[in-house]
Amino acid sequence: MLLQVLQDALFAAIAAIGFASISNPPKKAYLFCAIIAAVGHSARYLLMNSSLFDIHIVAASTIAAFIVGTLAVLLSPYGKMPAETCLFPSLLPMIPGIYAYKAFGSLMLCLTHGGETEFNHYFFLFANNGLTCLFILLGMVVGGTLPIFFFKNISFQATR
Amino acid sequence: MSNIDISTTQLEAFPEGEIGESASLKEICLFLSEYSAWLLGSGATSIRLEKNVRRMAEAMGCHAEMTILPRHIHMTVFLSDHSDSYTYIIATHPMPISFDINTKLSRLSWSMADDKLPLKDVQKQFDKIIKTAPTNKYLVLFLASCANAAFCRLFTGDWAAVGVVFISTLIGFYIKQLLTQLKVDVRLVFIICAFISSILASTATLFSFGHTPDIAVGTSVLYLVPGIPFLNSFSDMLNGHYICAFGRFVHAVVLTCCLSLGLCGGMLLMHLSMF
Repeated sequence: MLLQVLQDALFAAIAAIGFASISNPPKKAYLFCAIIAAVGHSARYLLMNSSLFDIHIVAASTIAAFIVGTLAVLLSPYGKMPAETCLFPSLLPMIPGIYAYKAFGSLMLCLTHGGETEFNHYFFLFANNGLTCLFILLGMVVGGTLPIFFFKNISFQATR
Repeated sequence: MSNIDISTTQLEAFPEGEIGESASLKEICLFLSEYSAWLLGSGATSIRLEKNVRRMAEAMGCHAEMTILPRHIHMTVFLSDHSDSYTYIIATHPMPISFDINTKLSRLSWSMADDKLPLKDVQKQFDKIIKTAPTNKYLVLFLASCANAAFCRLFTGDWAAVGVVFISTLIGFYIKQLLTQLKVDVRLVFIICAFISSILASTATLFSFGHTPDIAVGTSVLYLVPGIPFLNSFSDMLNGHYICAFGRFVHAVVLTCCLSLGLCGGMLLMHLSMF
């Protein structure tokens, strides 16, 4: 289990650096993003897969995003960056991309399969994937931005 | 004649300004509009934009209020006694998301408020900031490919799948950069890139590389998922900027639709099914 968590942290860090680079962060941010994303993503892995917690992906993402948000707010003053510069790239590895495109894929299959049973099946897949995607996103942003408001003094003065 | 030229009202008479040189409301409003257009274009959240602009306006001894629309900003700068105001509407600056510019512009707002820099100096710094070069193109290409390959591993793909995803992302992302440079419509770029990446990744199924070829196809297009617009949209929603949130959400959904279209096309062509 420990090995799996560490592996999850390592690959999440690589993913965070790479996806962050697409949105042109300041050079200092890469290190912060890698650390924060590694902690956040492995925390989510632990929450979802260990027999101790075993909680749903939406709740796990919200809690993990809260951890990510807290770390981002506390670390961002060291790099003189707004909290979002650390926070959003660190959340990118948790974006439910597969749920998102599966929702659209099944919506298209709804159209091409006219029969009631098949249509219902694909509509179920559309609703299931779409709702999961939306609520993961909502949970992530709520969890991630709550610390920004808790530590308002730090987060909006980080670039001072 | 009671004709007052509001555009040249000097703020010298307002001691709370405490700025070295006085600037007219018009100059302040035009500068703040330009600043907001760039800050919103670089992918800042609405709440940060509001805070930064208000901070700068107060440093110059006036107040700013604005409406943030998906593609425009409507800015009004006024004196505290409402005796004078200036309004301007500006389109947001179309540019790739840049947290570097976002960070520097936020720093600029604080240095203006704390160091009481005159508008001329701030304008000079602003002109320098907006020329910030984006991250090296080839570095981004390499890092994004590594990221997507790492993603494949996170979704329990085996090393063969990781290799396939790396190569299909490398090629797909390179084409994305080329097409973006040629100013092709972003939606078309997404369809084409998702199509190409998914076809390349489905070679894993075709030649049966490794044991998890389906994960290779599924993760090969994830570098296109518009994560930052989704996050910004939900962040704006939580802060009550519903119109801006809706605009950003629709933008992100449209891009995800295009991504899925390309992916479905690729899968159809290679006789694969999503479920």
